[in-house]
Amino acid sequence: MNYTISPDFTPIIDAIETHLVGKRETIALSLATFFAGGHLLLEDIPGVGKTTLAKALSQALGLDFGRIQFTSDMLPSDILGVNYYNQKEGDFVFKKGPIFTSFLLADEINRSMPKTQSALLQAMEEGIITIDQISYTLKKPFFVMATQNPYEEVGTFLLPSSQLDRFMCSFSIGYPDKDAERAILKGGSKEQLVKTQAMLDTKQIESFMQKASSVTLSDTLLDFLQAIIAFTRESGLFEYGLSTRGALALTAMVKSWAMLQGRTYATADDLQMVTGIVCAHRLHFKEGTTTMLRISHEIFSKIHSDT
Amino acid sequence: MKFLNTLQNTKFSSLALLDISYIVVLLPLLLMLKIPMLFFVGVIIAILIFKSTPLKSIGILFIFMLGMLALYLSLYGAFSFRGLSRLKLFLELLVYILIIVVAMQRLTREINFYLLISPFLFLALSLFFYYGMLMLIYIIFELFLLLWMILSHRMGGDIKEGFASSMVMFMYSLPWVVVLFIFFPRISFEHANYGFRGETIQRMGHDGTMYLDSNALLVPSERIVMEVGFEKEIPPAHTLYFRGSILYIDKKDHWEGLAINAKRETKPFYATTGLPIKYQVTLYPTQKKWLYALDMPSKNIKNSILDRDLISTVEKSIKEPLHYSANSSLSAKFYDILDEETFKASSTFESDHNPRTYTKAQKLQKSYPDIEKRAKALKHFFKAQNLTYTLKPDALDINHTTDSFLFDTRRGYCVHFASSFVTMARMAGIPARIVTGYKADFINGLKNYLPVKEKDAHAWAELYINDYWVRFEATATASFVEEDNQEVHSSSFLSKEVNLYLMYVKYQVETWILHYSHIRQLQLLEYAKNNPTFVAIFVMSLITLLLLTFVIISYFKRPYYSSKTLATMQALLKRLKKEKYLREDEETLHQYLIRYAYKHPKKTLIYDIDKLYEHIIYANENSKNKQKELKILIKKFLKE
Repeated sequence: MNYTISPDFTPIIDAIETHLVGKRETIALSLATFFAGGHLLLEDIPGVGKTTLAKALSQALGLDFGRIQFTSDMLPSDILGVNYYNQKEGDFVFKKGPIFTSFLLADEINRSMPKTQSALLQAMEEGIITIDQISYTLKKPFFVMATQNPYEEVGTFLLPSSQLDRFMCSFSIGYPDKDAERAILKGGSKEQLVKTQAMLDTKQIESFMQKASSVTLSDTLLDFLQAIIAFTRESGLFEYGLSTRGALALTAMVKSWAMLQGRTYATADDLQMVTGIVCAHRLHFKEGTTTMLRISHEIFSKIHSDT
Repeated sequence: MKFLNTLQNTKFSSLALLDISYIVVLLPLLLMLKIPMLFFVGVIIAILIFKSTPLKSIGILFIFMLGMLALYLSLYGAFSFRGLSRLKLFLELLVYILIIVVAMQRLTREINFYLLISPFLFLALSLFFYYGMLMLIYIIFELFLLLWMILSHRMGGDIKEGFASSMVMFMYSLPWVVVLFIFFPRISFEHANYGFRGETIQRMGHDGTMYLDSNALLVPSERIVMEVGFEKEIPPAHTLYFRGSILYIDKKDHWEGLAINAKRETKPFYATTGLPIKYQVTLYPTQKKWLYALDMPSKNIKNSILDRDLISTVEKSIKEPLHYSANSSLSAKFYDILDEETFKASSTFESDHNPRTYTKAQKLQKSYPDIEKRAKALKHFFKAQNLTYTLKPDALDINHTTDSFLFDTRRGYCVHFASSFVTMARMAGIPARIVTGYKADFINGLKNYLPVKEKDAHAWAELYINDYWVRFEATATASFVEEDNQEVHSSSFLSKEVNLYLMYVKYQVETWILHYSHIRQLQLLEYAKNNPTFVAIFVMSLITLLLLTFVIISYFKRPYYSSKTLATMQALLKRLKKEKYLREDEETLHQYLIRYAYKHPKKTLIYDIDKLYEHIIYANENSKNKQKELKILIKKFLKE
């Protein structure tokens, strides 16, 4: 472990950890993604705590929680909302969809049709939706945590890379380690409700977001960062390199991760920590399987900091 | 280096690198190109500058036609297939063809293997046209530059990296070059004509025959015939007679040497009396067979024949610069016993050709029975004639040259003096002959270096007196020297002095570097044996050179750190490495230091260092104080 979370955030992580035992790092990275103003894609098998993480996180952050279970017959209006004719008032009234929330869990996003997927993804990018020529602004902050099951292929519509690019980070929760799992097996019951107190208010969240964006990036770090970006584009290992949006996401994540550790500047360690999760869904190796660890290893065994 | 730094961010394309190479290798060749070909090269450069797209095949065809036209015009008149047996013409043709071919390929803006090696072909061809000091320096520069360009090409156009690498390679080779230079003498390629006929460059000056008529018009040429390096200082001015050939036969308007088939005893009589000296001669192509040695040669010059008249000749005429070392005993006379043939040749005269001289000579012979006194009287007679030394003599009566000179015109130069002196000596019963060669001008010399110029060509007389051949400087009998004979000095005294020094330096470099032969090596060894200080200086300079090489190599191979702070950290990092803590591949510096700190809980200072470093590098808190603080912390840590 090469990082120490700032005391500002340790209570939040502690609180969430009671529901997701032994996953401090995952929780911390989710928080960092949130404060960086991005969206998160969780790729994992069912039953490792994706929903639990989402619920606990939203409660701890004091955000109203919305959930959409994606299915193949869903339409964009099921997410965004619909104008219906109110007979009493004799006029069309807009009924807000589940997207009008601060914390949205888009469960199994790859089960819906591309049309529906893209409706959500456009909203994620712009923070605004337009229905019948009327624009509606989404809540702020607006955080989407989408999940997809990478191993199920029947009846799924894989997200194209242009859509994947809209997510700031992607990672998996993974199985808990031995001790954590033992603790879960001992104590918890399946029905245990996730109930965590809100630990931040909107103002605090805003100030943290502000802090994250004002973290200093030194010239040395920017050199390192650019070397990494150049490597993804020029090494020939990947089908295509990191896009500018990807590079921006990497920068935002580095800053946010530095902020989470209570620093006003980012270091090479921060960059090393977040590069894998930012790039995992953006880069594809020409040969072999693409995993977060492999990306991280390929990059950092060739691009060195402090030399 | 600053210049290179500005170039750091600009990557050069391979074509640009190639163009730089072309500029450098073509520069010496441009001096020999004929005007049509120069025009062609100009056209190619203009196209390259103003047209940035590749030329289409029609354009290439046009360039080819233009090139052929330029080639034709350049060689017009000079060219015939028989002419190709002349090396220079053949090479010139090769250069032209190469230029055309390279231009055609270059204009397609595509690089192929042949284009990449073409600069080396140009370099190789230019070696045939130029030799000497300047070219040597230029070639070293060219080789370095080509190496630099190749490395830059291989490094993707990074000329800064390329420069560092080529400099390192160059410096690695330098001490070896110097050592090899000293231990392996140059091999002489004097006759490297590769089966071609040699170029005929005629030099004026000394010739085997001596003309007395208008053929003998003298041109005071400053061209260097030979350069002489003495072991110590230049001998006195009155001894600098370089023996060339001996003339016996008077043919009225000119003098000739003995016929080759003359039956003479071949036993040479070396000079034994006089001051023995040793010297090195660089003789430029004369197209003749004579080697020149100071009066009197005391030893055979290597690879040459020294005949009984102390004349040195080689078998083939000299077409390339020749280097030889010679030994002489400085003396105006040498012992010889005349055989019949020589006696006959040196006593023959036609009394009816010069009747007036004959009567005077007869008188002398009668009044001075002693041969030595008679010779002196002859000299006095010449002095009494009030002769004038001039380079622009009036025409002589060809049928009575001596009479005409001594009694009518009384004006002439060395040829006329020597000719008349010998003729009259023979008439007075003294065997005599003419020696031609060079009388070097002492004023031209510097330290131990003496250049001999064409205008130094000279003729003097040798009289056989009491078993000795004695040199007589006939021109010394001139009563007047015509003022305007003193050549007009167009250049000032200072520039002449500077010029002399330049020639001196050039000569030293050429003898000790370009023509460092086996003999020189032995000489050097001999010198080193007697001079321990020289050996010390030599060893010291070799060590200095090695140090210099080391410094330059380490400068170019110095590790490159992204920041000054990191350079400061190196002391610490080296210590950790020594303690066998190696930084892993994917580890950041922070992780590395923390890992070390975990293993050594007592060394808490490392946390401070890590923190400070992080602040300097990542939090933009780089100040002099912080740097100092870091240095102090590291020092403290190293002491612990």
